[in-house]
Amino acid sequence: MYRSYAKQEGFSNEVGLTVRLASMNNSTQTLDTEDSDISDENLLIAVGNHQDVNAFNQLFERFSKKIFALGMKLTRNEQLANDLIQEAMLNVWQKAPLYDLDKGSAKGWIFTLSRNRCFDMLRKQKRQPSCVSADDIWPPDSGAEPTSLVHEDRGGLEVELSLIESYFDQLSDPQRAVVEQIYIHDRTHEEASAHLRIPLGTLKSRLRLAVAKLRNLIGVEE
Amino acid sequence: MNTDVNMHPSSELLNQFIQGELATGKSVVVSAHMELCRSCCAKAKELEALAVSSWVDPSIDQSIAPELDAQSDTDYSAMVASIVTSAQLTSVPIAEVVDVQMDVLIDSITLPKVLAKAAQQGLNWKRVAGGISEAQLILDDETQCEFIYMAPGSKAPVHTHKGSETTLVLKGSFEDELGEYKASDFIVRDTQHHHQPASKEGCLCFAVLDSPLKFTQGLARFMNPVNNYKFKKALSKAAIS
Repeated sequence: MYRSYAKQEGFSNEVGLTVRLASMNNSTQTLDTEDSDISDENLLIAVGNHQDVNAFNQLFERFSKKIFALGMKLTRNEQLANDLIQEAMLNVWQKAPLYDLDKGSAKGWIFTLSRNRCFDMLRKQKRQPSCVSADDIWPPDSGAEPTSLVHEDRGGLEVELSLIESYFDQLSDPQRAVVEQIYIHDRTHEEASAHLRIPLGTLKSRLRLAVAKLRNLIGVEE
Repeated sequence: MNTDVNMHPSSELLNQFIQGELATGKSVVVSAHMELCRSCCAKAKELEALAVSSWVDPSIDQSIAPELDAQSDTDYSAMVASIVTSAQLTSVPIAEVVDVQMDVLIDSITLPKVLAKAAQQGLNWKRVAGGISEAQLILDDETQCEFIYMAPGSKAPVHTHKGSETTLVLKGSFEDELGEYKASDFIVRDTQHHHQPASKEGCLCFAVLDSPLKFTQGLARFMNPVNNYKFKKALSKAAIS
């Protein structure tokens, strides 16, 4: 279900035909425009869906220097920054099948993943206790909530919630269950889908519909 | 002056958090606050978008990472070749759905997940003074991190800080000269502040200090060497574990 975004017709052909293997030893070589037209997102999805090595090479070409720069900034150590390229890009390869457009831009996804690997690398290097890892500190779904109903502080939230409760009955049972999981029990999408035993994709679309309906009832403008 | 009327991390601190620049202790306390605060999550999301766009800004590329081109000893083709032979993850690893409970003296509370995870190293509660108990967590070698429990009606000695103290209220409330603090409030105190926290209803907090507390009044001053010792001990424990 994570792959639904890449299933548009013609997508894989486009990547497969136009991406050429970019030689990493020859970084002065410029990409031809057709190559650079392919979005980071499509490359990442191609890597996730088809283990597309050419697309991975493109991503490596586009991001390895950025990852190195991030590593230099955070570790001030050239060797560690170089290790970070390996760690982070390995993670990009491994986790690419888990990426979908709901997770935001590919740049943002690769940034957070690189930052997290760098954080864990530094902790390991300093021999700090391993009780918390970067993924605990920056949990995958934190803040990635485009469907938030209210952004106000606690005062505002209480008022809004009492209003919203009265609209709750107008949702279908499955929709209400999803909204309860996410907004009342504060679960992540993954946790809620496990708890309700429904696929993640179903949960997300149900949540989107439910929130749209609530917004409509409350009269919130997008 | 009350510099944190909003009881949230400053934009600067949130930005350092997003960029991965904070030590583990500070990162954990910010993360725990964000789990309790939707508005900070939204703000962090905006700051992250800014961080990402400056990260991919090509003009910054040239100034920070000229070394990469010069490095001939790393074979990036080999790196890619080895990476693409490794297995990919095919499903989302689902985090266990567990409500973590922690017994704190008289009460039980559901902690923010990151703190529950950190607390798995075990909490050793020690009575400090005036109805206050502490349990240390070792998270890094730069800060002293601890859960602080203030029994109802308790009062801490007046103190200032050599460095800064970041406190997150998890349950209940406490008061000082500058205001009253409730669950999810995020408070930063530094050398300018002399304060004497007290708690009428009792509270549980998580605090991160980047240097020892300094007591300024009465008999409590004699505890200063002890505080220094405690801080050093926290740091040396981090170094050996």
